[in-house]
Formats: sequence, structure tokens, C-alpha cells
Amino acid sequence: MRVEYINPFVEAAFNVLREVLQSDVKRGELYLKSTSMPVMGVAAIVGLAGDVEGRVLFDMDRATALKIASAMNNEELKDFDDLVKATITELANMITAQAVTKLHDLGFSFDLTPPAIFTGENMEISNADVEALIVPMETGHGKIEINVAVRERG
Amino acid sequence: MTAQTLREARNEAAESAKRTEKIDFKMISFSLAGKEYGVDIMNVKEIAKAGRFTYVPNASPFVRGVYNLRGEIISVIDLRIFFHLPAERKEEEALESLIILRIDEHVFGVIVDAIDKVVGIASSSIQPPHPIFGDINVKYIQGIVENSGKLYIILDVEKIFAPERTEDQPKTAAREPVVTEGVPDPDRDVSASFIKETLAAFRGFHVTGLNEDWFSRRFAEWKAMRKNSDLQLKEASEADQFLEGFASPCTGVLWEDDYASEVEKAMPIIESKTLNIWNPGCGKGYETWALACILRKRYPEARVKVWANDSDLLAISMAPNMVFSENVPGYYQSFMVQGRNGLVFSQAVRDSIFFEFHDVLNANTLPPLDMVICRDMLSFMSPSDQERLSSVFNEKLKPNGMVFCGANESLGEGWVAAGTGAVTAFRKDR
Repeated sequence: MRVEYINPFVEAAFNVLREVLQSDVKRGELYLKSTSMPVMGVAAIVGLAGDVEGRVLFDMDRATALKIASAMNNEELKDFDDLVKATITELANMITAQAVTKLHDLGFSFDLTPPAIFTGENMEISNADVEALIVPMETGHGKIEINVAVRERG
Repeated sequence: MTAQTLREARNEAAESAKRTEKIDFKMISFSLAGKEYGVDIMNVKEIAKAGRFTYVPNASPFVRGVYNLRGEIISVIDLRIFFHLPAERKEEEALESLIILRIDEHVFGVIVDAIDKVVGIASSSIQPPHPIFGDINVKYIQGIVENSGKLYIILDVEKIFAPERTEDQPKTAAREPVVTEGVPDPDRDVSASFIKETLAAFRGFHVTGLNEDWFSRRFAEWKAMRKNSDLQLKEASEADQFLEGFASPCTGVLWEDDYASEVEKAMPIIESKTLNIWNPGCGKGYETWALACILRKRYPEARVKVWANDSDLLAISMAPNMVFSENVPGYYQSFMVQGRNGLVFSQAVRDSIFFEFHDVLNANTLPPLDMVICRDMLSFMSPSDQERLSSVFNEKLKPNGMVFCGANESLGEGWVAAGTGAVTAFRKDR
């Protein structure tokens, strides 16, 4: 993944999460991964196209998703209903959109697809030939892993 | 195929049946760039003449498009482009020779120069592939067979078209270390093998065929220096001391004028107008910047692209925005402009480089390469990873492609030395 792409994603994730959650957010160590990986329970995915091709995946467990959605809606949500799903989708959209805006300012043009959300137990994502950058984010409500896989259009 | 050629094929089969008792393997023979090839007839559904394939955007260059075969849509692959062989571009309307292959449930069309006939042989007469036939990567060759005075290279179409399975990689990796670790110790000295182990433990430096020569020389020096006593490396700093002198010239700085000119001289003549260069393990990026300037000077007409990557995030993230003070070597001055904080490389040089945070042990998505510049990186990888990467180099390089490796490294089988002076380089053996 091009070095120039890394910071916009990290910054966008950090800024948006801190803003919507109104709490402290810690960024973990970035690393690369190419093996298939388990999904914690809730995964929002946004596709990228344009100069590059790829996707951004936001992965968290159910409890974290509920807490984050509660914090963003300013009310206590107990069931994993449509509102929770829509909120998490929106979070994915906000972060990706901010990253893409930053990239655009640097001269890279990206388009994004509408986010999709996957929920379930024991899910696994495997596109093993794609190398992904993992940005772990520790929020007061739990851990979110942002998994960015983009490559140049050949 | 006409009736006549079919008849010939049958005769041919009958003839060879007389010669060798058991014909248990039939193949369709065809030619690519003047050489004869064969594919197992069991994989061939039919042959056809076809043209006007429907273009598919964003597909790999070897995919010519899709074709409607009596209602079934099949993808059409140009085997010549797949193997980087010269392919004549026919006119829009012209028909191409197409072999329709069936692999499991998938049907593919494959474009070849000309389809010849059916050849029957005894499978016992198939010999294992040998690198000498190598316009084509050995891993795609099932074997070689001789029939009525002609040599046929039998392609393993299942390997070519089977989706790449990543589980395969660890398996080969597990098999290979045996080869490299079996290198005999210099002087059969126990302390030499101890030192090898400690180098691996402290610094991840692995002694294999790649750097064995250097190790033997250095070990002799080391013995003389330590007066044959106290040879062991007890801590990391001693390992560093042992490795002193291993690094290639100008590591971690912009290459000096002399070295840069030597590298320039060692670069091959390339007629292609676009050059793809890979610089894995570029570290902080000094070597990539130097390289990009040398490439611009050596190939002023060509469009150069350098993929530079490193798995050290801290080092690589500084690389794209490097600023220099006044005292850069003269070689680069014409490629630099005054920036806000000092000298920076010009936009043209900048645009030719992609710095990537990437681990070379993961999948490398690169176009066919003209050169690989990989100095002193392989030595710091495990023997199985060394093997794996050098085969990645071999696979990604175009015919006659070159690898520039570390001053004290040498690639083994399948490579021909092509370096001069201080530059160590190897050309892919054809």
C-alpha cells in the first residue's frame, strides 16, 4: 500500500471516532496482514475505486457496536436493530469519506461505494492474496479494527 | 483442423504406435514464437479459429477478451503475452488459432501462433522439465518429449489456469530449506556453524548459498582477528561486528557519484518504452531516489516506474518527503529543485516512484519487471523465504531481466552473473 495513503486513513479514523464518541481514542500499532482473518461479529465494508482498487473494512464485536451506536445516538440501545446497523454504516461512511477527502487534497482521486454491513458469529474474511493494513483503534467503548486493502490500478 | 490434418494425425498416431508399444498420452501440438508445445488432449475440448473478441476493461494484459462459443461465454487468453513471448498483432478482423481448454468445470480459450496436430506418445518417454527450455517458467511445464525428431514442451495447463492457492506456498517453503541448509561448513569448523546460528538469532542473518562465499572469507578474517580463540558471538553487538563489511556500497545514503555511474553502466540496453523496476527492502528510500535518477539518465526516453517497498513503517513513511542539504553528490543535482526546507527531487523523479508499506512475503502484485534492485535484503530472510523470493524475482522478470543484489550476495541456479566492478547483478538465465 502506498505510503501516502496510510496517514489519511489513520487520521480520519482518529478524528471521526474522537468527534462522534466524545471520548479518548488510542491508536494501536499499525501492521500488515494477508492471511484470512476472523471477523469479530460486526463488519462494515466500503469499496474503493478510481486510481486504486480496494476496500476498507471496519471490524468490531457486537457489544462495541451497540455501545458506539448508543453513544452516537445519545440513547441507550439494547437490541441490535436497524438503527444500530444504520449508525455503524454511517460511521464507516464518515471515516472513509474523510480519508478520501484528504487523499483528494493530496492529488489522488478515489471513489467509494455505499457501505454494506455484515453481522454474524464465526465469520471469516479471506482474500488471501490481498495485503491489508490494519489500524487498531482502542475507544472507550471497545476495539475497532480498520482493515484497509488498496492497490494501484495496473 | 481440416480433415487432412486429422488424417495425418491419425497416421502419425498409428506410426508411433508401431514404434513404441504403449501410447497412453495424446497431446495437441502447437507453436508459440517458433517453438513446439503440447497440451494434454484430455484438457482440450476443441480447437477453433476465432476473432473479434469482446474486450474486457481492467483485465490483465494477457486476457484478450471474452468469446461467445455457441452460447457459452469463455474468456480468451493470449498465451504468448502470458509468457512474455513476442506476439504478432493481427488485424482487427483476422482470425486467431484458438485451443479451447476445459479445466474442471471451467472453459478457456487460448490463443497460440499455430495449431499443428495430435501427437501420441508413451507417457514414460516424458522427461522432466529443464530450465534450459526456459522462455517459460519451469513451474508451468509438465515435461519435455521427443517425437519424430521434434522436441515438444508439454505445458501443465492445470497449473497455469488453476486459481493460485496460497496454501501451496508454505508447503514448498517447508520443503526447500533442506537444499540451502545442507551447504557444507567452511573448514568443517564447529565454531563456524555456531556463528551462523548466532547471526540468525541476533540479527536474522541467514548464511546460505546466497552469501556463503562472503561468510567463508569473513570467518577466516575473524579467526585471524581473534587469534583463533574466543570466536563465538556472545551478544548482538558482536554479531554486528562480524557483519561489518557485509553491507553494499553506499547503504543508507544517496549513492555516491562513482557508484551511481557504475550502476548506470551495468544497466542493460532496453528498447521498451516503459520500464518497470522493483526495489524491495528500500529502507529509508535513499537507494530508490538514487535509482530513479540513474534510470532517468540511462533511459531518458522511457517512462520509468519504480515500486519501492519496505515493511518498516517508520523508515518507509519518511521516504516520499525526503529533503536534502546542499552537499548532495553531483550526479543528482540536475534532478533536484530548491524546496521550502532544502533541496528536493523534481516532480518528474517523484512521479516515477511508488513508495509502499508492504511485506514482500505477502502477495506481490507487480507488472512484468525489467529490473529488480534488492541489495542485502535476502540475506536477512530465512532460507525458505530467500528461495521463495528469488523464484518470485524469476517469475516477475521479463526475459533478460536483471537483479541487482548486494555486493556480497550471489544468486544461484537459473541466474547468470552480469555485474561489473562494484556492482553485483544477475541476469535471468534463458
